[in-house]
Amino acid sequence: MEQKHNEISREQDPPVTYAEVNDTVLRMMEPPGTGWFLLLFTCLFLLAIGAASWFYQMWSGFGESGKSHPIGWGTYITNFVFWVGIAHSGTLISAVLYLFRAHFRQPIYRLAEAMTVFAVMTAGLFPIIHLGRPWYALWLMPYPNERALWPNFRSPLLWDVFAVSTYFTISATFFFVGLIPDIAAARDRATTKFRKLLYGVTSLGWRGSHVQWKHYSAAYLIFAAFATPLVVSVHSVVSWDFAMSIVPGWHATIFPPYFVAGAIFSGVAMVVTLIIPLRKAFGLERLITPFHFDAMSKLILVTSGVVSYSYITEFYTAWFSNNTFERFQFWFRPFGEFWVAFWGMTFCNCIFPQLLWIKKLRVNIPFLFILSIFINIGMWLERFNIIFQSLTREFIPAAWGGYNFSWVEVGITVGAFGWFGMWMTLFIKYFPSVAITEIKEVIPPPMRRPSHGHSH
Amino acid sequence: MVESSSRAVVGVFTYLDDALEAVKKVKAANFDYRLYSPVPRHEIEDVTYPEKSPVRTVSLISAMTGCAAGWTLAIMCSLDWPMRTSAKNIASIPAFFVPGYEWTILFGGLGTLMAIFVFCRIPTVLRTAGYDPRFSHDKFGVVVACAGKEVDDVKKRMMDSGADEVDVRESL
Repeated sequence: MEQKHNEISREQDPPVTYAEVNDTVLRMMEPPGTGWFLLLFTCLFLLAIGAASWFYQMWSGFGESGKSHPIGWGTYITNFVFWVGIAHSGTLISAVLYLFRAHFRQPIYRLAEAMTVFAVMTAGLFPIIHLGRPWYALWLMPYPNERALWPNFRSPLLWDVFAVSTYFTISATFFFVGLIPDIAAARDRATTKFRKLLYGVTSLGWRGSHVQWKHYSAAYLIFAAFATPLVVSVHSVVSWDFAMSIVPGWHATIFPPYFVAGAIFSGVAMVVTLIIPLRKAFGLERLITPFHFDAMSKLILVTSGVVSYSYITEFYTAWFSNNTFERFQFWFRPFGEFWVAFWGMTFCNCIFPQLLWIKKLRVNIPFLFILSIFINIGMWLERFNIIFQSLTREFIPAAWGGYNFSWVEVGITVGAFGWFGMWMTLFIKYFPSVAITEIKEVIPPPMRRPSHGHSH
Repeated sequence: MVESSSRAVVGVFTYLDDALEAVKKVKAANFDYRLYSPVPRHEIEDVTYPEKSPVRTVSLISAMTGCAAGWTLAIMCSLDWPMRTSAKNIASIPAFFVPGYEWTILFGGLGTLMAIFVFCRIPTVLRTAGYDPRFSHDKFGVVVACAGKEVDDVKKRMMDSGADEVDVRESL
């Protein structure tokens, strides 16, 4: 059925009710079946591979990572930027779209927020792994140590510490605050001792009185207003890790908007990748409708356009600068040693998403699932192109080099997916992964007498 | 307050407008009340709490504190351990914008969280007056505190407004 504006509403046949929303979402949290355990053990297995690889690297030395001159930043920083990018769209969907009153966010934002928090937790591991000696990670923090030595506040690497840690704290807070009323709904229906205790503690005694809702709604709006500049700042700061240097291919002023658009692009794609199997597995078809996929597809299409424009601008700037090293770098990317990565990125991020101009494909679920995976791969390749390609061909040919991936890097990369997947798997079974309260907000409330009838 | 009264009359409503009608009636008679809802609605705010929430002030003060703290941290640390780079100032204002910016948001967000805790009175382990699990599902609840002799009057106001059921509980 074609939904016009209010995609989940009483206009649906039969109309969605408050009770149905509770029942549908809380049913997802019923005792898990074999499929869930299989998924969890798969994630744990991947995580074990990652953990074993990391311990091997610490035991045997950082040389095991495959990094050597001139590639000082390799797979780990690629993974860091990739996961921060994935984390990006959660806050976009939850905060920015909340401020814009975009109705398509309601059924998907909780999962996007969870993805944000767990993706930042994953991203945060990589700078520590990249240190080689992770026990020195504390040196990044501005704490009063015995030598009175403070970190360099002019360094983008330190800005990263501020940006990513703030992003994690605010995203996790925003996520948790949004969960409180929904956990209270789960508490009121819990039957087992464990769940009664879990939801009793985590709902913080929430009851939903008019005073609580008043302050809660005001605070939620402010959280959204605080989180919105974070969406811009975090990936801008991450891009400055590159743009503040003089490496050809990195030293570009377009990097902050380019990185922000790329992060939203990859994050929305990851939301699509996660939400399609979840919708199928838990029967959420009446809450997550083609309207939502159409809206997400449009967001993907727009950000794909911005990313493609940025790629073209990079080439144009290199040509127009008349700088030998810049020009060479942007010749090397499509025609050099790693041409597969460049053309793979171009296909996945620029060409393939153009099919979304066709309306039928924007609501074609299998197509969207495949496309979203291609975009995830394409965005990993984008970071590979920026980091590896630029470092392998810096200035003088004597300093050029190649790169061989080690199994340790691959193991840790795979382990990161296991770590992320483990948290997501646990979350969907133990907490409401679709926002009960916010979906109810878009349903017109039950009224005995005719009212103005619009929803909010 | 509801907690200190001797009786609590609990009305359960299916329809929001009925619940709001009951609230208007008990407000007119100057009873202490609490409205429970599974969802925030502007209709509820209009009737029960039209004033602005003080959360906004707390958020603003927290954010300003964070801004000052971020800049101060960066400047004081740099002055304490000077790292001269070419002719740049030790206190490099453009570079220190990032810590100042991030801490504005960090402190503002954490201050807002504290404001939720204080104004919503959470976390709490106390049982709340007349709360019913249906109020987080699909029903609206109006709980009115009153003295024993006023119970019948309050019950009548609730029933006249369209309550599905009205229950009287002991002192809460």
